[in-house]
Amino acid sequence: MSDNDYSLASIGDLSEDEIFDLLRKWRESNERKSREINKIWTCRPDVVIENRPNEKYLIYEQIILATLDCNNSLGAIMVINTLDKQFPRSLRVMRYKAMVLESDGRYEDALQVLDEIIKVDETNAPARKRRVAVMKAQGLIGDAIKELVDYLKKYSADMEAWQELSELYLQIGEYSRAVYCVEELLLHQPHSHLLHQRVADIRYTMGGVENLELAKSYYCQALKLNANNMRALLGLILVTNNLLGHYKPTGCSKRKEAWKLSRWAQSEVTKKQREMRGADDNALTNMMLSLSISE
Amino acid sequence: MGEVTFNTSAYAKIILHAVKYSHCAVNGILLADGSKIKDGSKSPDLDIVNAMPLFHHSHNLSPMAEVALTQIENLAQTENYVIAGYYAACENFNDNTVEKCPGQKIAEKIAEYFPSALFVVVENKKLVKHLTSPAIKIHRYNDGKWKLQDNNKVSFDTPFVLETVSHLLEWEGYKDLVDFDNYLDDMTQDWSNVAIEKVVEKIDAVNRDSGE
Repeated sequence: MSDNDYSLASIGDLSEDEIFDLLRKWRESNERKSREINKIWTCRPDVVIENRPNEKYLIYEQIILATLDCNNSLGAIMVINTLDKQFPRSLRVMRYKAMVLESDGRYEDALQVLDEIIKVDETNAPARKRRVAVMKAQGLIGDAIKELVDYLKKYSADMEAWQELSELYLQIGEYSRAVYCVEELLLHQPHSHLLHQRVADIRYTMGGVENLELAKSYYCQALKLNANNMRALLGLILVTNNLLGHYKPTGCSKRKEAWKLSRWAQSEVTKKQREMRGADDNALTNMMLSLSISE
Repeated sequence: MGEVTFNTSAYAKIILHAVKYSHCAVNGILLADGSKIKDGSKSPDLDIVNAMPLFHHSHNLSPMAEVALTQIENLAQTENYVIAGYYAACENFNDNTVEKCPGQKIAEKIAEYFPSALFVVVENKKLVKHLTSPAIKIHRYNDGKWKLQDNNKVSFDTPFVLETVSHLLEWEGYKDLVDFDNYLDDMTQDWSNVAIEKVVEKIDAVNRDSGE
């Protein structure tokens, strides 16, 4: 898991089996590792992918993405040609060709290839998503959003797409739309502490008592699902401290509750910090002191 | 306009941050040596002595930015630093302008407190393994705008800075860089990146010896 158990320099020393194991591990854990994979492809011609009939096509695809990430489109073209011979007229291979065009900045040509794919196979979701990527690469965030909204009308169960749409909305400051997208994600993964935290983060950013109240609840739920979510703990401190300023000073039960939550979150942060770095480090405690308000 | 000097480790942290997350937008805060800033000057000379890497995701959300900035403020007070600027690299490889950078509001806030603040934009296209140029564009706040600085008004504390940082890139030093996002994920990590400062010092010492 650690980043330091190998380095780019050590790739030359690995055995063939070790390299295939690494590639498989990265595939299975969804790690992109483009620098490393590109290095394997360019520096280890002795590793023969053809010898691995069960996984060779998966490896080829892994290499195409890595080489494109590293601006090595020649490398990608070589691999694509191999696949092309094996699977002539494959739409999947065509999509990779579009990606090469995209990486060379030939966006119009890339869109044309993608449209061809969609013409042949109307249900080709990856090609439609690629269109969104082409828009984004050109900095056309508004167009990318429009394209993605259209896509989600057809494929409303695509979590990755909702995630991306929420990010795009955040980029242009459309917070309430971004919240909607994350809530959509929450419907599919109601037990994800990260999504609860994300809703709270956005609500806090929007501001106003109503949003702060919501942020408080979502941070609490995030912490209920995972007590170690540091962002939610810190967020809870911020949000409760903010709320304390909004309530009337006396006899307000909401105020008491916020006060209690704030104290609890602060003690949790101090505790976690001690566990992690020993008692001498108190950067966050100091931070809380400068944020804290007096009762 | 006053001159701007970067020390090597502050500059190295900017570059390593941009390289570590080359597929993301990144940002961070620049700290100047408070004892060297002359009061009263409209655009004083600045000695950038430290950089604090902030985020590589969730740029447009405020809670964690508030936490990080409050921490940096505390650090600045105890160490006599001045929060003097902001750096960022755009997500899109082709973008290298202030307008396309994340967190412009943070930068403007800094300029509210420190009116001649810097805005450093990483030039993605000039980031190469063996740096031949600093690959950053420096802007200074002036009359409510970020004004691009002449590159000859920017200097480094040693003449070996590009070599030093190129070495770090070659040794994959970016893997050791810790930003605030990394720290929130794992609080045992040190986002002030003292380890990188030490490596930079060592390389600098070697360079100085061989230069003499």
